[in-house]
Amino acid sequence: MASHGITRVADSTVRSVESRQRELQQIAAYKDLVDIVNTKVAERWYTIEVLALVTKLLNENPEYYTIWNHRRRILGSLLSESLSGAPDSQKQKQPAEDLINSDLQLTFGLLRKFPKCYWIWNHRHWILQKAESLLDVTTARRLWLGELQLVSKMLHSDSRNFHAWNYRRFVVTQLERIPVSATPLPDATPSKQSLAESEFEYTTKMIKTNLSNFSAWHNRSRLIPRLLDEREADIATRRKMLDDELALICTAVNTDPFDQSIWYYHQFLMSTLSPDCPRQSRLALDLSNQDRQRYYEHEMEYIREILEDEEDCKWIYEALLHCASSYLDIDGGTKTFTTVDMRSWLDALKRLDPLRKGRWDELSRSLNL
Amino acid sequence: MSLVSGPGRGGMTDLPEELRLFVDKHVSYIQSLDTRKDELEYWLTEHLRLNGLYWGLTALHLLGHPDALPRHEVVDFVLSCMHESGGFGAAPGHDAHMLYTVSGVQILATLDAFDDLEARVKSGRQRIGQYIADLQDPESGTFAGDEWQEKDTRFLYGALNALSLLGLLHLVNVDKAVEHVQSCANFDGGYGTSPGAESHAGQVFTCLGALTITGRLDLVDKDKLGAWLSERQLKNGGLNGRPEKKEDVCYSWWVLSSLAMLNKVHWIDGKKLASFILHCQDPELGGFADRPGDMVDVFHTVFGIAGLSLLKFPGLAEVDPVYCMPRVVTKRCLGQ
Ligand SMILES: [Zn+2]
Repeated sequence: MASHGITRVADSTVRSVESRQRELQQIAAYKDLVDIVNTKVAERWYTIEVLALVTKLLNENPEYYTIWNHRRRILGSLLSESLSGAPDSQKQKQPAEDLINSDLQLTFGLLRKFPKCYWIWNHRHWILQKAESLLDVTTARRLWLGELQLVSKMLHSDSRNFHAWNYRRFVVTQLERIPVSATPLPDATPSKQSLAESEFEYTTKMIKTNLSNFSAWHNRSRLIPRLLDEREADIATRRKMLDDELALICTAVNTDPFDQSIWYYHQFLMSTLSPDCPRQSRLALDLSNQDRQRYYEHEMEYIREILEDEEDCKWIYEALLHCASSYLDIDGGTKTFTTVDMRSWLDALKRLDPLRKGRWDELSRSLNL
Repeated sequence: MSLVSGPGRGGMTDLPEELRLFVDKHVSYIQSLDTRKDELEYWLTEHLRLNGLYWGLTALHLLGHPDALPRHEVVDFVLSCMHESGGFGAAPGHDAHMLYTVSGVQILATLDAFDDLEARVKSGRQRIGQYIADLQDPESGTFAGDEWQEKDTRFLYGALNALSLLGLLHLVNVDKAVEHVQSCANFDGGYGTSPGAESHAGQVFTCLGALTITGRLDLVDKDKLGAWLSERQLKNGGLNGRPEKKEDVCYSWWVLSSLAMLNKVHWIDGKKLASFILHCQDPELGGFADRPGDMVDVFHTVFGIAGLSLLKFPGLAEVDPVYCMPRVVTKRCLGQ
């Protein structure tokens, strides 16, 4: 009912008698399985056997959300059974861990086949939270660490998978929340640890593999301000971070000036210079308008150099106009460029990017060009 | 509210001959959807049945064939998906969830069937409204999809969509919901599924929709977001959902309707987009696919047709970009 990227084949109504017959058999078997699962759950037969039927059905149709709900109903009952009685006995705890592990395996296998199915991600989320509430801290922490590896694997096969990036941020939050050791430290300092540094390194790794990975750039834009706060970075260190990031993105721009992802990160860095940028998004905290002016001038100079080899790259003109209007906003004057320059950049945009003509027309009105 | 108008948009009358809309084919395609019980796919997609009905019915209304599905059968089916709790499942026997509850309300609204609901389910409207309201997280202001507590801006939008159609927005904390939407905003002007998540055209649609319904578009950086949205258009005219991704008819709708909410439809090339959408039709059997030459489905069919309607393609009824429903219906429900 909602398919993506599946090529249309010739009229599907022309099927052979055998294939039609086979399909009818498949339908009958599928409907039988659905009926039996629904009936057993309605009768509250929350057993290992019914759980196996649920597994079979979910393998056939992981989008069937009600069946995932049934699975949680059954598991909830089985887990509390396995933990009732002597809560401290290792022997009693084992089955609960087995149940949890088998669900982690099931969802792992399904995610490899259906990486964009919301319900599978949800269930994994649920089973892990359940595990955390039932098992000891060390085990829970080990499980969440396993999740970080899993999500790295998923992002290795599709580095833009939206669900995987969301899940990664979620897992990181969980790991940051759970104490590193079960026993509280004597001086009562929180034993939690931030993963901002290692996550920042992860984005560097992803970007180095593929400059066009905006998901990684996005995450980086979120991590850097936090990282600087956590490092309690001084003014000079903050400036250095800003300069390093600008240098990194400028190299990237030079490598592929036609890549949107790179320009968006450039836009992010430039937006952090603005006096309107909220504190929690800033890199440097002590910028004067004179500093800002210098940054804008430097960027424009660099971008104009690239322009010499890439006259047909519209992103360059857009960035120049962007810098120019930020420059004008802080009353930088028109030392480094003139309105004639701005007009020529806008003309280039209109010429190179006719799809967005309406936008360029409006921009030229708002800039009085 | 002049959401669909924008300066500088020409009509589609000068499109070449081959770019026709195969209205009759699409109507019979949608009518055929419920007769495919001998296909396994029909059974494997039962969890989308109520959404599918909303997609198909909306497409038919926009195509000017509102009676192509029998009204009483549709109402019967919708009500058979309703639970005691006031929520709707995808089909009879499926659990209640926000996604289907919204579709249920949208279908009843489109068929002007709220009175039928009241006649057959005691305090029906109120019960639906309460089901939705109970899914709001009092702390963050966002909404869960169901009792299992998955949270996402899709559900927040769905809640405000359905509640506004029912005239029951007062049941929830609107300010908190708006606050949550704000916390999902990114530097590029777009929005993600939750705070910190990457901007995504589908989420931009839900967040802008929520802000439009609550009358809080003043919170949006319109130029920045408009720029990001307009960059979704690729050379072939189609729109993608994020930078450096492929074009797709469903994303074309989410981006285009978002531009419409910002009054910036003229920031992209409407003629090229219309041509892209039309190329995604199956001219023989009807329906639209995600991209030219792919398998059609009813999901891409409604978004293709709604996109064409927003582009003022001749012969289509006007669509409301916030609700993806006929404008006459939302006008009636919202008392405009
Ligand atoms: Zn699509």
